[in-house]
Order: sequence, then C-alpha cells, then structure tokens
Amino acid sequence: MAAPLLSAALRGTRRGRSFGTAAVLWKRAAPLGPMPNEDVDVSNLEALEKYRSFTRYFRLAEQERRKPCWWNTYHKHTNPAAEPQTDISLPRERLSRTKEVKERKRILRENRRNAEMERAARLQTVLIPLDDVRAEWEKTSGPFHKQRVAEHCGVFRDLFRGATFTPWVALRVQYSQEDEHLVPVYHGNMVTPSEASNPPAVSYEADKGSLWTLLLTNPDGHLRDADSEYLHWLVTNIPGNDIRSGKEMCHYLPPFPARGTGYHRFIFLLFKQLCPIDFSQDARPTPCHSLKMRTFSTFDFYRKHEDAMTPAGLAFFQCQWDSSVTSTFHQLLNMREPVFEFVRPPVYHPPQVKFPRHQPLRYLDRYRDTEEPTYGIY
Amino acid sequence: GLRFASTTVSLKTETEVDTSENEVVAPDFTNRNPRNLEQLALARKERGWKTTWPKRDFWHRLRLERTQHYVEAFVERCNGEVVVSASTREWAIKRHLYSPKGVAACKNLGRVMAQRCLEAGINFVNFKAIIPWEHCCDSIQEFEKAMEEGGVVLREPRRLYQ
Repeated sequence: MAAPLLSAALRGTRRGRSFGTAAVLWKRAAPLGPMPNEDVDVSNLEALEKYRSFTRYFRLAEQERRKPCWWNTYHKHTNPAAEPQTDISLPRERLSRTKEVKERKRILRENRRNAEMERAARLQTVLIPLDDVRAEWEKTSGPFHKQRVAEHCGVFRDLFRGATFTPWVALRVQYSQEDEHLVPVYHGNMVTPSEASNPPAVSYEADKGSLWTLLLTNPDGHLRDADSEYLHWLVTNIPGNDIRSGKEMCHYLPPFPARGTGYHRFIFLLFKQLCPIDFSQDARPTPCHSLKMRTFSTFDFYRKHEDAMTPAGLAFFQCQWDSSVTSTFHQLLNMREPVFEFVRPPVYHPPQVKFPRHQPLRYLDRYRDTEEPTYGIY
Repeated sequence: GLRFASTTVSLKTETEVDTSENEVVAPDFTNRNPRNLEQLALARKERGWKTTWPKRDFWHRLRLERTQHYVEAFVERCNGEVVVSASTREWAIKRHLYSPKGVAACKNLGRVMAQRCLEAGINFVNFKAIIPWEHCCDSIQEFEKAMEEGGVVLREPRRLYQ
C-alpha cells in the first residue's frame, strides 16, 4: 500500500503540481497506539465467547465508541477538549456515608418484604409519588443535574467565563398570574414576557442571620454589545428568606427580548454572603429605564465581591418575544421597538475550478456575482 | 460592563438623558444562547451517517438502557453530552420501587423523566435509538406511553430550510 503512494508522491513533486494527501502517510511507521481488536485471539474462533444477540453487541459497541482513542475523529474535531474549570461553589461538609447507606439498605429491605409493593410491581400498577421524588432529588442529585443543564445552556461560559459552581441551595421561583395561576421557573423552561411582567415570589432554605443576594440577568438581549448583559433585578443583603426586607439596588424590569431574535436566557443567581457588603457602587437610581445603566457584567460584579460572597443557587428560563414586549419598549424604555430578522450564513461552495468534474450546468450559477440563475435545473 | 456611580443629579434630567440613549441600537444582533437555534428549528442536524445506525440527525435523543439490574434513561445531544438523565439507581426513585428493573420501573422512570425534561425546557425528543424488535416489548411501550402522557413529544420537528 505504501509503495504506490510513495511513487505517486514523487511523480507529483517532479511535475510541480501540489497534491493533498495526509502528510502522515508519506512514510511507514508503527501506529501511535493499540489497534482496535488487537487483544482478540483470532486463531481459535470456536473457543471465543460469541455475542449470540444483537443487544449485547450493541451495548458493548456504544461503550467502546464513547471511550477516548488516539486517532483523530470528527468528535474530537467538533468538541475541543475543555480545560479544567475552577469550582466556585459553596463549601459543603461531607456527612458520614455509612449511616446514610445503612438507613437506605434498611428501607430497601423493608420494601422487599412488603407484599403490597410486590403485588403492585407484578401487576404493573405502581405509581410513585412524583412530588416526593422531586423533593428527594433536590436534596441528593438535583444540584449536579442543574449544573449539567446550565453547562448545556452556556450559563457558566457566558456569565462566569468558564468557572462552574454546583447550586447546592434549591431556588424556587414562581411568577403568579392574575387568575391565581402559578408559573414556576426551573432550569430552562419557557416563560412568556407577559407572564413575567411582575416580580416573582422567590423562596429558598436559609438559616437565620445569613445574608443573601439575588440577581436576574439576561446575557443574550444586549442591543449594542454582544458580550455584556442586561441587569433586570438586584436585591442585596437579604436577611434569611425574606426578599422584601433586602435592599433593592435595581428595581425589577420585565423581560424584553426583541422580536426576531429568538429565545433569550434569563438567569436568577443567588449568592450567599459572609458579611454585609456595601453595594453602593452597583446601585441604580430607582426608576432606572436607561439601557446604558442596566448594562452589566456578572463576571466583573462577582470579581469585585468574590471574597465576601459565593454563588449558591441557580434558576433560569427561556423567553421569546410577545406582544407585551412592545408596550415595555414604548412605555418603560421610551424608545422605538427594534425588530430583527434571521440572516442565514451564506451557502458554502468550494473554490471554483476551471474544469469541474461531474458537475451540472448550474455549477456556473453558483459562482456568478449577479443573482439571476440562468441555467435553472440544468 | 458600564458602571454608574449615583450622583446627586435631579431626577428629571436623569430620565431625559437616560432614555434618549436607548434608541441607539447596533444593526447586527448576536444571540449567544446555544439553545436558541434548535428551539427555533433553525439549527443544523447532522444529516450524514446515513449508512450507520443509529443516525445522528437530531437535536436531542432519548436513549433507554435496560440492564440486568437497573433501568436508565438519558437525553443527549448529537455530540454525546448528556443533558437530562434519570435512573433507578438514584435514591429518590429507588426507595419507592419494589424492584429497580422491570415494567413497573420503566413506567415510573418514564413519568419522572417526562417531568425532568419539561423542567429543563426539552419538549421534543428523538426516540429512534431503540432496536426495532425490542420496541414492541412491554417495558419500552409503557415507558413511551408514560413520556407521551407526561407531555414530551417523541418526534422532533423538521428543520426549517427556507
């Protein structure tokens, strides 16, 4: 295999035309790692354990596909290896696992002895209480799942420039409507701007005497600069659970995602303070409807106060344009409403060649400067 | 970001100065939200891989893994990153079940998974990564029914091409 390639390469260089084969193949060398299926002994096929079913093979194949390999793959090309990220979450004391594990094993053993549960499982009538499951999930694996979803929505990449945190404190945010209907905010659900026009009811578990800061930002909606965010709500030095007794540095502004821009993320951040902090630099005047003053950067804000506060809670929602946004622009912000249109990136065509091979006549249409396609479907 | 240190200026002139600057808007708008394009059905799906199975033309895929001891469900993106997951290995679900495998476990896992998907804002999921002759078995049918009843549509919308 290598010999014809070498002669082709030499002929190519003599003619003076460049060619594009992978540079690695120009000489024979040992592979840079173990080849797949090297460890399988092919000499005695009858002695090998067979798969006997597609399911077993498929599960093993999927596991092997996910393992890292030494050759270049499309996956490595599209997902560059992430650098190790700094963790800025609240420190948590590790409870003794042995007691917890013992308690859980006891409960499982009781479940096994329960004849009612066995009958319900056998007849497939079991319906587990979803509220209890959610409450337990919030205590155990909730923070990790929320961190994963937030990572996915690019929250840490845009707000903290890569530093991640695990939201140990469960933040419950609910927007109440006129007809006593409650719209909750979880990690990424859709809320319309008309539903979010009034400040929400925020609740979380807090010890007496602890101080918290609540922040609502929109990293996507900035109309002038793509890298900064808009501050919608900032309440500081909240004693315990009570939002109303905290000092409101920036009053609540309802979300205003512009028309045509799609879905914007609105992120609630809850910081735990070690001591009362002076936020006078971040104070905005009470009716603050200036977008210039609402321009904000969470990274700089956190960097300024990072010694005294740590992020503890996270909740975010996705918001799209709605007719109430028009009234927000006209009445509150006193400006004309901006309307945007989605512009598709231009279609890619490889560089034009003088004698194209196996191309239809419309090949010429692709490279003409004017818009009229003269060859139609030919 | 810009900082405004509050000074003693009369409120009237402040509001006039403030809102007059609002009109200045940049002509190009960039939305950094990675989920924006797929929620508008404008993002690209990986249309290649047509000679292999399972194909990768989806934004989110639901994968159900049934092992001898547990049942796990994952919602992942085409590059393999898991977004939402639920498994009978978690204490929150395990404590209410008699056995962490079997049809009852799959059914309840479906209900929990539907709730978590809706909370994370994932309404449309691709459920084609099941082996065809395993699709008609009771546990997978119950799981699918539970997901549909939970409100998750098991069919991704077609991408908008014009």
